[in-house]
Amino acid sequence: MFGMLLEGYVVTLQIFFLTLLGAVPLGVLVALGRLSKSKILSRIVGAYISLMRGTPLMLQMFAVFFAPYYVFGIKTDKSYMFVAVIIAFIINYSAYFGEIYRSGIQSMPRGQYEAAEVLGYSNSQTFFRIILPQVIKRILPAMGNEIVTLVKDTSLAFSIGVAEMFTTGRALVAGQRTMLPFAIAAAIYWVSCMVIEFFLRRAEKKLDYYHD
Amino acid sequence: MTNSTIDAQTQQPAVCVNNARKAFGDKVVLHDVSLSIMPGEVVSIIGPSGAGKSTMLRCLTLLDTYDKGEFSYGDIKVTTQGPHGAVYDKQAMKAARMRFGIVFQNYNLFPHYTVMKNICDAPVVVQGRDKAEVEAEARELLKRVDLTEHADKVPCELSGGQQQRVAIARALAMHPDVMYFDEATSALDPKLTADMHRLIREFAASGMAVGIVTHEMGFAREVSDRVCFLIDGTIVEEGTPEEVIEHPKDPRTKAFLAHAQD
Repeated sequence: MFGMLLEGYVVTLQIFFLTLLGAVPLGVLVALGRLSKSKILSRIVGAYISLMRGTPLMLQMFAVFFAPYYVFGIKTDKSYMFVAVIIAFIINYSAYFGEIYRSGIQSMPRGQYEAAEVLGYSNSQTFFRIILPQVIKRILPAMGNEIVTLVKDTSLAFSIGVAEMFTTGRALVAGQRTMLPFAIAAAIYWVSCMVIEFFLRRAEKKLDYYHD
Repeated sequence: MTNSTIDAQTQQPAVCVNNARKAFGDKVVLHDVSLSIMPGEVVSIIGPSGAGKSTMLRCLTLLDTYDKGEFSYGDIKVTTQGPHGAVYDKQAMKAARMRFGIVFQNYNLFPHYTVMKNICDAPVVVQGRDKAEVEAEARELLKRVDLTEHADKVPCELSGGQQQRVAIARALAMHPDVMYFDEATSALDPKLTADMHRLIREFAASGMAVGIVTHEMGFAREVSDRVCFLIDGTIVEEGTPEEVIEHPKDPRTKAFLAHAQD
């Protein structure tokens, strides 16, 4: 039983890490789009963020899963289930991460930009050397929250039949008429989140060498 | 002979603004302001709050732009005359930024960098200078501003006065021709004010032009070669501290000084 749950857990971890791998950098594009001087781009990105935050992730997963067939008439095979989950998670989490980045970027005092400007830094030097490192420190707690939520959100993948840990647990509960698999799954989620919290605390501590 | 050569070279102001105008919407903040600072000269811009001092300084440091007027740093013409006023040249702006340094009122140090890195980062990254050489120079600068033992600290570990001196060292490391101070002494005690006075006179003695924006009359009188009164967006009076602070002619200066003396 434990072994089967761990097999599911591997899929959970895949969803988790692939989502982070996609959404952490894509969130930067979302934030930059939202902050763009182009009103049209900013509005489009704003609408995208609103849609992603305003509808359930489960429905978004269905949409991504069924879109190829209902919109484009393409038949998909079983392997697409996992891909659909990853795509849905990435586009959803990019919106959340983008908003966190945006709030961090906007919280930076103007004086930092001005100091960099008079010293002759280019826009990209200013962003990567002066702004971004400070923004990372500022957004770390909010990102931590979101990342812990992601661990638990992976369980939503069961709704389109991807066999991650929760799906496996549910099957085991149904087959063996015991709640134990759920308890074990819960423990594994919790331990996973504790591990993440541990690393976040370490990162926060590491960035605690200064305050502003 | 040698003297006259130097004179000929120093004829050119380090920074020069002619007939500059700046408006925000309908509100004209600077009318027809002209200002130049020669190498080795300390000039203070004094005036009441809202007179346009900050706008003037922001324009001088290229954080904002004049609507009209001629503006140059030494031989670099930052603006040219277009049909609708001043046209800024991007390349000239970039070159001009290397000619001046500014010590902001709240210093604007980079909080995530050590004192050393605050000073060395721009010369290395922006000017492409050799890191070891810049660091050696930074140590000299830190000695000069009395911060030698603080090189590896971050700004939040320093007092306000110390942070200001880091900001001075950071600006000096770029080898500017002109140094600006925004409210140089408003946060300093008498001892630190005296140190600042000595530093500014040293800069001038080394041939640097110094521009100070302040409403502190006492310090301006002590340190400046020339004082400009900026009132309601116009330089109403300028001259030696003696002339304009002790014996003002313009009624607006007189009124301002009468309040300031209280």
